[in-house]
This record gives sequence, structure tokens and C-alpha cells, in this order.
Amino acid sequence: MDVTPVRTSGTSGTSGGHSAGHGHGHGAPAGGPVPLGIPDPARPGAAVEQRRLGPLARLAPDPVKVVLNWGRRYSLWCFNFGLACCAIEFIAASMAKHDFIRMGVIPFAPGPRQADLMIVSGTVTDKMAPAVKRLYEQMPEPKYVISFGACSNSGGPYWDSYAVTKGVDQIIPVDVYVPGCPPRPEALLQGILKLQEKIAGESLAERYADGPDAAPAAPRVPDAALRRPLVGGPGSGPAAGASGAPRSGADR
Amino acid sequence: MAPLPGRGLAKGLAVTLRTMTRRSVTAQYPDVQPELPPRSRGVIGLLEENCTVCMLCARECPDWCIYIDSHKETLPAADPGARARTRNVLDRFAIDFSLCMYCGICIEVCPFDALFWSPEFEYAETDIHELTHERDRLREWMWTVPAPPALDPAAEEPKEVAAARKTADKQAAAAAAAREAAAAPAAVSPSPDSAEEQQDS
Repeated sequence: MDVTPVRTSGTSGTSGGHSAGHGHGHGAPAGGPVPLGIPDPARPGAAVEQRRLGPLARLAPDPVKVVLNWGRRYSLWCFNFGLACCAIEFIAASMAKHDFIRMGVIPFAPGPRQADLMIVSGTVTDKMAPAVKRLYEQMPEPKYVISFGACSNSGGPYWDSYAVTKGVDQIIPVDVYVPGCPPRPEALLQGILKLQEKIAGESLAERYADGPDAAPAAPRVPDAALRRPLVGGPGSGPAAGASGAPRSGADR
Repeated sequence: MAPLPGRGLAKGLAVTLRTMTRRSVTAQYPDVQPELPPRSRGVIGLLEENCTVCMLCARECPDWCIYIDSHKETLPAADPGARARTRNVLDRFAIDFSLCMYCGICIEVCPFDALFWSPEFEYAETDIHELTHERDRLREWMWTVPAPPALDPAAEEPKEVAAARKTADKQAAAAAAAREAAAAPAAVSPSPDSAEEQQDS
């Protein structure tokens, strides 16, 4: 059976073939390969299923939206997904000294089905990844995710490991990333404040619509920024080096 | 005698009352900044003027989270017989804080003291691409780097401070001697030199 991908850019088969790659999972071309939901690095978190919103929420007028956003952001029940060292900082943030109940985040939800906010703290291994996705799917809408610490942001110190998921946003959509290894408990509090600001400005219609209503995708750093042409040495002079002409003659 | 019913409840409520009247230890974070210890590791700041683009930080980083771009510029020779000088110019210095594990190896390894620890920790983002900070932001964090901690009281004086102090003393002595010479002219000219030599040791 012919399983070559349906792509006419003419890069198939050469050794430099992945130079144009965004890759996978863009949605099925007609009669083409089945989309496997392989994470697309250009759109983290996009491998999740579409969410649906009822017509009533879409029609809610603005003052009601303000009240609903206020209620939602100050009553986040948190499903603390503590996996590793960052969990200790999370626990510290839930205890007396830096109490995040002051912000309305109640810790220790009985389970994902009663939670609004999932704070992934710690290294997500490939073994744990299906469990993370399953528990995320068990949370009822509207739900938010905070990725806490370097390991859940992007794999962190274990970015090179064969067994680590390089960032939990490969499997679930993340709303706020808190950097640190581990971040201070106050950094988690600031991350929660940032999430609350995000919820305050949220429009549920935009969040759940897939069509003209949908929120515009955040501008991504283009992949081409990572693949510059070679810069000429001092002998070739500034003009040749700065023109950006591809010097990949040695490449092909 | 049988224990009174409700004793356990009364004891529990007594504990609650005691805890309620005690002062709480909660640090009211957004209103009050935390008291960070000295040498806290929050974020990394870059002093671009010191950087010679040796790339040691990028090489030694265990996470490969430092992105450095540079190019070489040729300056014409100063002397007629010398060769043209090449100089490294920094184009891009970015640290990807989503990967950074705050080990500090880049700061330790930098031979030119261009990288510093800053205690800043409030830089969470909603988009992971925005966690890669470029050199303008890294320079902003330089202004939050605290002054180096004071030395032990019994330690010897650092050489830079000693050199600065000697220079200042010399200048003060020269100024004093010039004033003396101006006040009592001609007859007392040897004395400024001997006074200077005594103070120099």
C-alpha cells in the first residue's frame, strides 16, 4: 500500500527532507493518512479533543460574564498532580506560610471529577503520561492547567531522557507555565494570580468555539527562526553574511 | 469515675481557641514581598559589556538552554606593522527558562563575570515560547542583582579596595601638601615628600 504522505513541497526523499517540516497531525488531507494525534511542536496542547459549549453560555451578556469569570477565578478547586520535587514546593504553598487558599485555590480535591485546576508539578514520564491525559479528561469543563516547574514545562533537566515527556503540554493544554527548578512557593502564587488574570479576561464563547468565534491563536515563533543560514566569516565581509542568502550548498 | 461526656469535644475546642488567638505565620505574598536570603537563586542576569562570547556558558550548560549567536568583526590594525584585529560581537544571547534548572554552572564558569544571580522569581508566563528571554530582559534583571555580600570582619582587605584606598590616600596627601606649600612657601619644600613616603607603606 502506498503510504507516502500527501505533500507536494518536493522535499520528500532527500536527506534534507525535514527542513520544511512542521510535521504531523494537521488534520486529514483528503484520502490521506489517518491523523494519529502526534503532538505538533508548533501548537503545544493542540492534540486534545474539541470542546463544546451550550448556546446559553454563548449568549450570556457581558456583566454576567464578569460575574461568572469572577466566580470561576476565585474558586478554583485544585487537583494537585504532584509527581516529583515540585510537589514539595506545591505542598509548601498550600501550608500556613504561603497559603494559596487566600487566593481561592482550595487544595486536595477528592479527585479529578471534582476539580477545576490541575497543577502538574514534577517530571512527567512516558509511563505516567497516559494517566495524566486520562485524569485531565476526567476533569469537567471549564478546567485549567498550571505547569509548575521546569520538568513539566519542557522536560527540564531531563530533556534528553528517553523516558521523559518533554513538557506536559505535549499531552494536555496548559494555561500558565511557572518556571523554576523548583519554583519558590511565591512563584506558584504568582502563577495562580496570572491564571486568575487570564480567567478574568476570558470569554467562554471564544474558548470553546471552533469557527469564526474562536480566539485567535497566539503568534508563534516561526520555525524558520531556528534554522538560519550560515553566517559568513570575516573574510566574506558583512554584505554577504547579512543578506540571509541560504548557503546550504554543502547541505544538499 | 466515668469520663464526662463531651470531654473530647471540649479539649478539641480548646485547641481551636488557642490556635485562633495565636498570631498566624502566613506571609501575605502579593502585598508583601518575601524576605529572600542573600545569594538567592531566582533568575540569571546578563551584563553584556563583560561578555566576550567565549560560549563557555552555552557549552557547560547541562540543559543546553543558552542560545548564543555572534559574529566576528575585523578592525583595522592600529600600528602600520600589526595585523588586523578580529573582535567577537554578541548578536543574540537567550536563555530558555522553561528548560533552565538553575544550577548556576553558567554563572560559575563565566570567566568574565558577565552572568549574575538575581533573586527575581515572578516571571510565570501563559505561553511557553515567552519563557525564552533575550538579552534585553536579561539586562533588566541585572538591576535586581544585589550587591556582593560583605566579607568576614577578620578577612584581609580585598585588593581592589586596597588599591582604591591607597590611591585616594595618596591624592589626599598630595592635596594637603599642596595646601601646606601654598600656605608656607619656599622654606618647607622637602617636607611634602617625606610626609608622602611615610603614608605610603
